[in-house]
Amino acid sequence: MALLEIADLRVSYRTRRGNVRAVDGASFEVPEGAVVGLVGESGCGKTTMARAITGVMPGSASVESGSITFAGRDLLRLSARDYAALRWREFAFVPQSAMNSLDPVHRVGAQIAEVLVQRGGLGSAAARARAGELFDLVGIDAKRLVDYPHQFSGGMRQRVAIALALALSPKLVIADEPVTALDVIVQRQVLDVIRDLQQRLRLSMIMVTHDISVVAYVCDRIVVMYAGEVVETGSTADVLARPAHPYTMGLTNAFPDLERSGGVLTPIDGNPPDLLSPPPGCRFAPRCPFALDACRAEAPPLREAGAGQMAACWRIDEVEALREAARWSETWQRL
Amino acid sequence: MAALVETTGLALHFPAPRSLGEALRGQRPMVRAVDHVDLSIARGESVGLLGESGCGKTSTGRLLLDLVRPTAGTVTFDGKNLRALDKAGSRAFRRRAQLVFQNPFDALNPRFTIARCLAEPLVNTGVPKAEHESRIAKALERVRLPALARFESTYPHELSGGQLQRVVLARALVLEPEFIVADEPVSMLDVSVRAGILNVLREVRDGMGLAALYISHDVALVRYLCARVMVMYLGIIVEDGPTADVVRQPLHPYTKALVQAVPVPRVDQSRAPLPITGNVPDARNPPSGCRFRDRCPAAMARCAEEIPALRDVGDGRRVACHLV
Repeated sequence: MALLEIADLRVSYRTRRGNVRAVDGASFEVPEGAVVGLVGESGCGKTTMARAITGVMPGSASVESGSITFAGRDLLRLSARDYAALRWREFAFVPQSAMNSLDPVHRVGAQIAEVLVQRGGLGSAAARARAGELFDLVGIDAKRLVDYPHQFSGGMRQRVAIALALALSPKLVIADEPVTALDVIVQRQVLDVIRDLQQRLRLSMIMVTHDISVVAYVCDRIVVMYAGEVVETGSTADVLARPAHPYTMGLTNAFPDLERSGGVLTPIDGNPPDLLSPPPGCRFAPRCPFALDACRAEAPPLREAGAGQMAACWRIDEVEALREAARWSETWQRL
Repeated sequence: MAALVETTGLALHFPAPRSLGEALRGQRPMVRAVDHVDLSIARGESVGLLGESGCGKTSTGRLLLDLVRPTAGTVTFDGKNLRALDKAGSRAFRRRAQLVFQNPFDALNPRFTIARCLAEPLVNTGVPKAEHESRIAKALERVRLPALARFESTYPHELSGGQLQRVVLARALVLEPEFIVADEPVSMLDVSVRAGILNVLREVRDGMGLAALYISHDVALVRYLCARVMVMYLGIIVEDGPTADVVRQPLHPYTKALVQAVPVPRVDQSRAPLPITGNVPDARNPPSGCRFRDRCPAAMARCAEEIPALRDVGDGRRVACHLV
């Protein structure tokens, strides 16, 4: 059984212009010990999904329906107190900008110790020793526990945030764009820390990112989101080599590959729909070169697209032909 | 090829933020954002300026556009020293060289219609009103945003990020410049939209014979847009050469690490440890000699003593390293 199962989740935000359903009927799972990349573009609902799992959301957000089953328990049925008891111990969160999540006026060692004492019930000497171990784990000299957040570089700060998340040895770590704000060399160093820790500690992870090359570097599985819906899931190797949903095909076409240059990048014309009034049927249909009338009438369910691969597309039976056509720039030119 | 833009010994030093102790001791630490940069860009040539945050690439772009006064060295444009231009010459330069802004969401005045945003540079440089419409239409066509009529009453907030970035580019092109500096032109955009802008930039390059400096941290983007690349580290250019060669076979140890660090969208990729250690040092106190030496796997005694010059090593390549 998977460690985390999300089924038919709907999350909406109240706004002045009406209700926006940021996550609409999304389902996926995180197998024990797997790293799952949650990818999509701005506003596709990937961060909302990650936040919904942690149960920490702004007041304007609410979960309308669905379930989030973690190790056999539906998190959405837990009391606030029981939910809080799981945070840090069972699952922990790594934010995009560690600068904003660390308290600038306290030494980082004290911040880690606080979690260990308050949440983990450790004594202060044990907490100090454990904080040193955690720094060691993420490759920072334990001498730096007495430093303040501003004394760390961006990459080091992100390592501190990872150390903090690992404080109480959670089973699942949810990281929201953990390397997006970093320079490429630092990004690679932090990704290597994440990969190493994940393998050594057999962590399960969800990594929210817009960058499919980051997913390719660290994730076993990929979940592609578009306009609040999950459009494709599968192993990273399968989905990137043989995408089954036209959106995923378009995304891989638009993404530069340093080692295979010479080709032309192909954009996907148009923009994602306004979630205040999403189009009927498949949400990608207005931008999809393969859309039929049926696509605009009814939303396609996620269906099997190969071993362990699922895609939400009405034309999934013709996937080979579509994939072939999607290789050509002409296919994607204004319809 | 004659150089359109050329610099010699270009440097820009800033007073650094001081700690209380430094202020009390009366010390004025300086950040050497750009140091001894010699570069040239030919007419019609697209060059990428690649580097990490804080390496001085944006400062270099600003120096080339005469937006800041260099601490030392000169910038010449079409053979004339920018610092020695008279008023008319300076005005002409502002027409011939343009900046494309990074963030399309705040580069346009939100209270101006798109048409007015595009007309503004024409008004400011005294282009006769009769020419405005045709000039704007031409610029919009270049960025593949046809239908000027629609923009007469459209405001920036009504457009998507990709459309806004095209407008920002059109505004730079409306004066028919010979040189543009584009600072991270697509970093704010989503992947599916970004590819469209990159293709427009390629078309503009080919169609207008424009010389361009693309400032970016993204090796793949520079590879896609520029035949030549210059790599900056802590205020100096460490490598310069044809992009394809530099990416395939980087010569400077820093470039090697940089190229190897770029992930590719495929599962089968090298995950070998990077040949680099530590972090970018404090720009107020760069190491003596070669600025990269404390992170370099191959540093030797000479690297601490002698600053490596950016030397010609053949095949149109220059490298600043004692080992090469």
